[in-house]
Amino acid sequence: MQIREIAADIGLEALAVADPGREVAGGYCSDLLSDVLAHTQPGDLWITHQRHLNVVAVGKLRDVAGIVFARGLRPSPEVVARADAEQVNLLISSDPAFVVAGKLYSLLHR
Amino acid sequence: MSPARIVREARRAGLDLIAVCDHNAAENGRYVRRLAGEMPVVLMGMEIQTAEEVEVLAYFMDEESPLLLQEELYQTLPDVSCDPQLFGDQVVVDETGEIVRHVERLLLSPVPLPLADVVRRIERLGGLAVPSHVERLPGGLLAVLGLFPEGNWPVAVEIAPWTPLADICLTWPELRQHSILRSSDAHYPAEIGRAWTDFRLDAPTLEEIHSAFRNRDGRTLRPSRETKEEA
Repeated sequence: MQIREIAADIGLEALAVADPGREVAGGYCSDLLSDVLAHTQPGDLWITHQRHLNVVAVGKLRDVAGIVFARGLRPSPEVVARADAEQVNLLISSDPAFVVAGKLYSLLHR
Repeated sequence: MSPARIVREARRAGLDLIAVCDHNAAENGRYVRRLAGEMPVVLMGMEIQTAEEVEVLAYFMDEESPLLLQEELYQTLPDVSCDPQLFGDQVVVDETGEIVRHVERLLLSPVPLPLADVVRRIERLGGLAVPSHVERLPGGLLAVLGLFPEGNWPVAVEIAPWTPLADICLTWPELRQHSILRSSDAHYPAEIGRAWTDFRLDAPTLEEIHSAFRNRDGRTLRPSRETKEEA
């Protein structure tokens, strides 16, 4: 399923979406970037509360389909600009991480 | 830990220089310093937990700057009281062992300031900022943020007392570009001196320590071997 369809379906706001046609294969929830580096799979939609600039680098390194900031947490313009430059998809949900993950899981596994 | 006990344990361990780094608080350092009379030299310090939940050590030589920083940070802490049953007492203890005051807000909370901002505040006040036990959770910079942030900071990093140096340099090869400190991270008196760093300095000053961080002018440092794994 493409990230643009998922965003429309579960109500994600796009902050920087260079690749709206990117396929989402799964999901991962973590705020610890060392854990994300070790355990995400390419194509995962990564749900997090961590807003440090390093999320963009880590997301890119792991080739995630996109990064979703949960609970309406908005990263700084610097983070958004870097995601634009690195072509990493960045989105926000007003839902808490548990709800975002639940909605994503239902979509991917129905 | 009373100042008297800290000084006694530091002397027992043969330490020439220590830093007193309470969580988000600096005040206790000055009482330890008064009692120690430069044996050992006592740096004023603090362990600050940032918005990313990264822990950073701040080292100062003067007393005014860390107390200013403590005040700045305290204003930003969430207005949550410390429950002594859950978290223990948050006390300031003077050199005679008398409690000067209880700190109201819970110091275990992170301050809502990003890491870069915290580092800027420490350095603006003339302090040295060193990320704590970078490989360890909770709070280690590399464990939390996965990579070093962009830019020139940090020059020096701290690793946990029980982590073998060779192992950590395999896990995080980028550490080879940094000076690596080890300290006791003592939360109890008996832990004081369980790990340390040997410095070659001309005098126990922040400038000299900073030169050792940069391996400049013959100022060097070397972390001790690891201590036994924490139970």
